[in-house]
Amino acid sequence: MLEDPLLLARLQFALTAATHYTFVALTLGLAPYILVTQLVATLRGDRDRMRSVRFWGGLYLVNYGMGVLSGLVMELQLALNWSGLHEMFGYTFAAPLALETMTAFFVESTFLGLWIFGWDRMGRWAHLFCFFVVTATAYSSAWWVLVSNGFLRRPVGFEMVGGEAHLTDPGALLANPASVLAFGHVVTGAMLLGALVIGAVSAYHLCRGHDPYGTFRRGIRFCAVLMCVMPMVVVGFGGAQFSYFDTPPPTSGLTYGTEEAEAMTEAAVGGLAGAMSRTGHVTMVLMWTLMFFMGPVMALVWPFGGLDRWRWFLAPMVVTPVMPYVASVSGWVFRETDRQPWVVTHHLTTADAVTPMPAGAAAVSFSLFTAAFFALGAVTVWLLVRFARMGPDRGPLAERRPEQDEPARPRFTY
Amino acid sequence: MDTVSVLLLAAFVIGYLVLAGADVGLGLLMPRVARTPDQRRGALAAIAPYFLASEVWLVAALGVLAGLFPSLEHHVVAHLWPALAALALALLVRDAGLWMWRRVPSARWRALWEGAVIAGSWGSAVCWGLVVAGLLTGSLWSGVFTPLCAAAVVVLFALRGASFGADRLVAEDGGRAADACGELTRTLSRWALAAVGLAAVAALLPGGPRTEGSVAAGAALLLLLGSLAVTAGVHGPMLSRVTSALAIAVPGVLVALVADLPVAPVPATTGILVWANLAPFVPVMFLGQVWLYRMTRRSAGAETFFA
Ligand code: HDD
Ligand code: HEM
Ligand code: HEM
Repeated sequence: MLEDPLLLARLQFALTAATHYTFVALTLGLAPYILVTQLVATLRGDRDRMRSVRFWGGLYLVNYGMGVLSGLVMELQLALNWSGLHEMFGYTFAAPLALETMTAFFVESTFLGLWIFGWDRMGRWAHLFCFFVVTATAYSSAWWVLVSNGFLRRPVGFEMVGGEAHLTDPGALLANPASVLAFGHVVTGAMLLGALVIGAVSAYHLCRGHDPYGTFRRGIRFCAVLMCVMPMVVVGFGGAQFSYFDTPPPTSGLTYGTEEAEAMTEAAVGGLAGAMSRTGHVTMVLMWTLMFFMGPVMALVWPFGGLDRWRWFLAPMVVTPVMPYVASVSGWVFRETDRQPWVVTHHLTTADAVTPMPAGAAAVSFSLFTAAFFALGAVTVWLLVRFARMGPDRGPLAERRPEQDEPARPRFTY
Repeated sequence: MDTVSVLLLAAFVIGYLVLAGADVGLGLLMPRVARTPDQRRGALAAIAPYFLASEVWLVAALGVLAGLFPSLEHHVVAHLWPALAALALALLVRDAGLWMWRRVPSARWRALWEGAVIAGSWGSAVCWGLVVAGLLTGSLWSGVFTPLCAAAVVVLFALRGASFGADRLVAEDGGRAADACGELTRTLSRWALAAVGLAAVAALLPGGPRTEGSVAAGAALLLLLGSLAVTAGVHGPMLSRVTSALAIAVPGVLVALVADLPVAPVPATTGILVWANLAPFVPVMFLGQVWLYRMTRRSAGAETFFA
């Protein structure tokens, strides 16, 4: 296996992207909740709510760090390993990614810095504004990535000029159902994931009767409400995506003839990619079905105080975030493997898109990145769990009180 | 639209060198100027707000490269694949160090991630040196020019870091680390003069960069040597804030002037899509950058998320 650069490049992309997405999904899921909590805290001058903001914000930042690390590698790997894709589709597929880097990442990272370092240095409305920008740019980042990913799935709006795809219709690119519906599905899926993470952390602390600032009381209620509403929206957008499944993309025929392309697709069906795709699909739907019942059950125990007190109910809640995580990764495996043998449906095969590289170099880069990624991802997850369990009094953003200074630093008492 | 697009790319690359030069450079010097735990915390506290705002210039440059100049990107990747892959790994290690350092209050944990920051900074600086040399000559390795050019770039990074440290490390330990950085600006200016001089001579050897029609490049080189000479004699960091920024920008300028890069005109529709969406954001990007750099001009005394 280590001799085949194409296979390695594909596997590496799959692993990196799946890692990136698991962290990004939590970013997208937590941001709006933190934003609204900070808004309410600012409006009412509510110190307890501000402590909640610091608590969830701390988790957000730890998670964001891994999002950035893996995002950087995604960006570089896309450029390094898939040069054929850029050569042919740079002006169409990579243009939205360029917009993402400038209008989303650039702004997001800067304003996140302002939010982190601005706690005591700027007014509360300015500080709130910074997090608003962070949230908005996180979502616009997801939007542009999905515009470009949707183009791979269902290429639209270009003509071929001397072996390069030139954009002819930016409107079609932006209105591509493979992007718009995917954006709706991804964003609502991420909200579901965020809500369950908030619910699980809250349940953990409520089980122990530890909720000094009402952080977890509010958290689990938010989770209950979202779990009643969101699964319906998720399935709406998800189901709608089947609408473009069985028709060839509107640009089919510009490179390979449509028949020829269909034949190549047929020839690739079956095999490992096909099996993975089917498994991904079934898993995603199964997870959704399980989650669908959670909302009503939570709504049922709510009036009886179950959300605050029933340990037998709260304890299992702690592991439920596994479901949306599994669903998200399976969803992506479904979408991406379903495209085989194409990188750009009906136009460019993965074999033609991969950078020609010596097998040795591909194997070295693959092993190093995979090892580094696995280690960093594992450490981040460990840290997230650790800080989630510590609760609002400690953690990366908690207000420091003298008696909680870190033991490693020597202090002199006079 | 082509000209503005080229300028945009150049602005991101040079902006990255000037801004990130400061925090990468300080990372290079950490073994030398940050010896006690407090000094190391101080160094990381100076780096952290800066790297959040400087690294994005690189990400943006990559985006512009891929979206507006795919043939150029293809050329660069085809020639410099190993150096770029190593750069990616170095950045990953460095960033991981910065994000992880503060997370666990244990000496071993912190030593591990300090090591990551230092190793990652060195890795990035060296890889940038190789990339600059590779872009100038058109191949990853071309005789003595490559190591000399790479060494010159590394020293320029270090110089930029020293001047940054002299500015920012004042509060931490009564100024000892800052003084050490101040001292270093002079030493490093001399080293840089030597390295740049040697690289310039090696450039004339066969396999070196193309030299015809490079009056502008000669002027840029003179600017570089001149700005280094200014701080090589002066004791202390006073002027180095400006001169080190000029100096680290020059390799970027030289690449733009000398390297034989295939820049194709941007197709109109893609240009319009990108610029129409980008234009409204330019003020926001600018505002955020200026605000963050101004706000964190003095490093926080209290502990923050990073250090
Ligand atoms: C919380 C996560 C989650 C849940 C519960 C579901 N999905 Fe999903 N699904 C995703 C998370 C996700 C995803 C990770 O966000 C994907 C990957 C790419 C995309 O657009 O969204 C995805 C992809 C995806 C696609 C692939 C589109 C393509 O190949 O182009 C379809 C058709 C569906 N989903 C349909 C569904 C249906 C019918 C569901 C419920 C019964 C469902 N999803 C539940
Ligand atoms: C973030 C979640 C994502 C996951 C988990 C994911 C997963 C995968 C997987 C499993 C493959 C291998 C497919 C195969 O070889 O059978 C793959 C390939 C690929 N994906 Fe994704 N992907 C994600 C997002 C994206 C996005 C947003 C883009 C583009 C903007 C993208 C572009 C590609 C490309 C270019 C390949 C290589 C060619 C191919 O094998 O089709 N992916 N990805
Ligand atoms: C080809 C696929 C992708 C590439 C090249 C990519 C690239 C990147 C990069 C470079 C960063 C770091 C930015 C920084 O330095 O601040 C990042 C972060 C981010 N990416 Fe991606 N990404 C991809 C897929 C996705 C997908 C599928 C989504 C969401 C649907 C997404 C959403 C985000 C968000 C919200 C961030 C902000 C940081 C975070 O959330 O942790 N990306 N990505």
